[in-house]
Amino acid sequence: MSATSATLGRTPPRRRSLLRQAMPGIAWWAICGLVALMFLFPLAMVVLTVLKTSSEAAATPPHYLPQHLSGQNFRALSNADIWKYVINSAGVALGTVVGTVIVATLAGYGFARYRFPGRTLLFLGSLMTLMVPFQALLTPLYSVLVFLHLANSLIGLTLVYITFQLPFSLFVMRNAFAEIPQEIEDAAAMDGASTLATLRRVMVPVAKPAVVTVALFAFFSAWNEFLAALIFLSDQSRYTLPVFLTTLVTGKLGAINWGLLEAGVVVTIVPCLVIFLLLQRYYVRGLMSGAVR
Amino acid sequence: MSEIALKGLTKRFDDGTLAVEDLNLEIGDGELMILVGPSGCGKTTALRMIAGLEEISDGELWIDGELVNDFPPKHRDIAMVFQNYALYPHMTVRQNMSFGLEQAKVDKDEIARKVKETAEILDLTEHLDRRPGQLSGGQRQRVAMGRAIVRDPKAFLMDEPLSNLDAKLRTQMRTELARIQNQLGTTTVYVTHDQIEAMTLGDRVAVMRRGILQQVASPRELYEQPANLFVAGFMGSPAINLLTAQVESDTLRSPLGDVALDRRLRDALEHGDRTDRVIIGLRPEHLQDAALTERMPDGTVTFSGEVSVLEAMGAEYYAHFDLGDQTSVSEAIDPSHDAEGDPVGRRHGNDLVARLPINSDVHEGNSIKLWFEPGHLHVFDPESGRRLTEAKA
Repeated sequence: MSATSATLGRTPPRRRSLLRQAMPGIAWWAICGLVALMFLFPLAMVVLTVLKTSSEAAATPPHYLPQHLSGQNFRALSNADIWKYVINSAGVALGTVVGTVIVATLAGYGFARYRFPGRTLLFLGSLMTLMVPFQALLTPLYSVLVFLHLANSLIGLTLVYITFQLPFSLFVMRNAFAEIPQEIEDAAAMDGASTLATLRRVMVPVAKPAVVTVALFAFFSAWNEFLAALIFLSDQSRYTLPVFLTTLVTGKLGAINWGLLEAGVVVTIVPCLVIFLLLQRYYVRGLMSGAVR
Repeated sequence: MSEIALKGLTKRFDDGTLAVEDLNLEIGDGELMILVGPSGCGKTTALRMIAGLEEISDGELWIDGELVNDFPPKHRDIAMVFQNYALYPHMTVRQNMSFGLEQAKVDKDEIARKVKETAEILDLTEHLDRRPGQLSGGQRQRVAMGRAIVRDPKAFLMDEPLSNLDAKLRTQMRTELARIQNQLGTTTVYVTHDQIEAMTLGDRVAVMRRGILQQVASPRELYEQPANLFVAGFMGSPAINLLTAQVESDTLRSPLGDVALDRRLRDALEHGDRTDRVIIGLRPEHLQDAALTERMPDGTVTFSGEVSVLEAMGAEYYAHFDLGDQTSVSEAIDPSHDAEGDPVGRRHGNDLVARLPINSDVHEGNSIKLWFEPGHLHVFDPESGRRLTEAKA
């Protein structure tokens, strides 16, 4: 056994060194730079377009760099009352985060630690919902929301988002809790902590990377989601940001106001970027949980 | 401080496995009781039942005169030190030690005072604001101890607390642990599979095998008067030499030579189930180098053997002799055939080992003359494994 793991342990560095021999450092930089460019170019174009005037943004052939810096697009967005929709989106996203984290934490802990009949079946059942296309469930969910008098409401939309986030979140939280040694929980029990105190003061803090991962995923998906919001919300004052943006972009004769659209995209991207950069170290650890012992 | 009494304690798991069977044990106030045995012998399960972390299938558990079978861990007022320390990784040393007291709603100033005092005892004062991940193995072990001590519980339960330390630190912490337990005088149940820990730490040692208690006695008594073959083989390193011997009228014919049956041996044979064959046990230190002995006592048995393997241990030699197949001890009672991870010296039945002083003129492949006093022989029943003799120390 030890001989096997020793051999496995030695293989990757040998392969790396062979690759390094075959390709000089500068080639690595070139490849990595190219990949980064592929991802960053669209983002750069968004930002540059925002800074152009409407006519310059619509020019053919397009200019890559703005000839006159303009704040006109942001002013137009502000005049269109974008902050109301930002607040709608933020409310839905935060509600989704809180709801998902609470339910996934409690359920994940239950699946990880308690033995009860049908445990595996229930867990697999909840994971199987990941395989059903999101769009296929929209109509039945709409019926449920109408029945609950929650159609065309942000609370209803939040509940729908929580529902869709749960299978993945449950999977992450269950793995994170299962990975915590039983002795830590036993130690808390010996220290006189109740189950709830153990969960709140020991298990959740230890599983913080997983909690952050679940929260980030919930936030991103709720913040960016378009289709369900478009279907479930009919009152424009309740629109979320992605839906609101569609009402803005169309100009005269169906022409797209690119500058305004990209300004809306920037407003949408910024919170995601800030949150991701602040929490990315937890996020990576959360995704890795269970992968390596 | 308190007494702990286990009366017929039994643990049967859902799959029917009997982990602990009818365990009866009384642990006195302030006593350090060691539960020792190979992996899978039920010692940790027994400890977890005392802790309240494992449900008791049958029997009674009394702590401080109170039947606590149905008490959850927090109502038993006992603290536990785990094998992997089980420290809360997100808390500092101070928070780790305070946690139990906070749960008991102890006043904040009182918590601070107790944590400070305990940290001083364990030399942890300068590490109080560090997290477990920033500490060495030995320091983590001390924090785990501190978390138990700070609560001033009725009893400590320790589940192989030194097994994750390297050999040198383990020895150091063993001494430290003995000092602290002595200083606090708290009743302690200590689980280990390491017989050296058991021998050096325990006031008394309970040896377990396959869920059944084999013997409870002081370390010295266990070593000198083992109840059966298993205990004899488990306690002592290198392990006791176990050899089969035939009884012929007034003589015990062993691979080491003929031993005249004296009164002690004759009495022993009368208590056995068989009169024709027994298993004899002889500790490696009771085999002496004839070349270093000026005058052998009367009635000694001498024999010569070729040294097959010689281990120089610094202060002494372990000399191994190959005796052939004739002497193997049956698998059913040979302690070296226990569960995996069994620390019993894995000596074959045909191997004999002697502990010889470093000034012995002994070399691999050479023949050497050894002797022993028959009074040191243990005689065991070959069927039940029971010890039949009262051995001379």
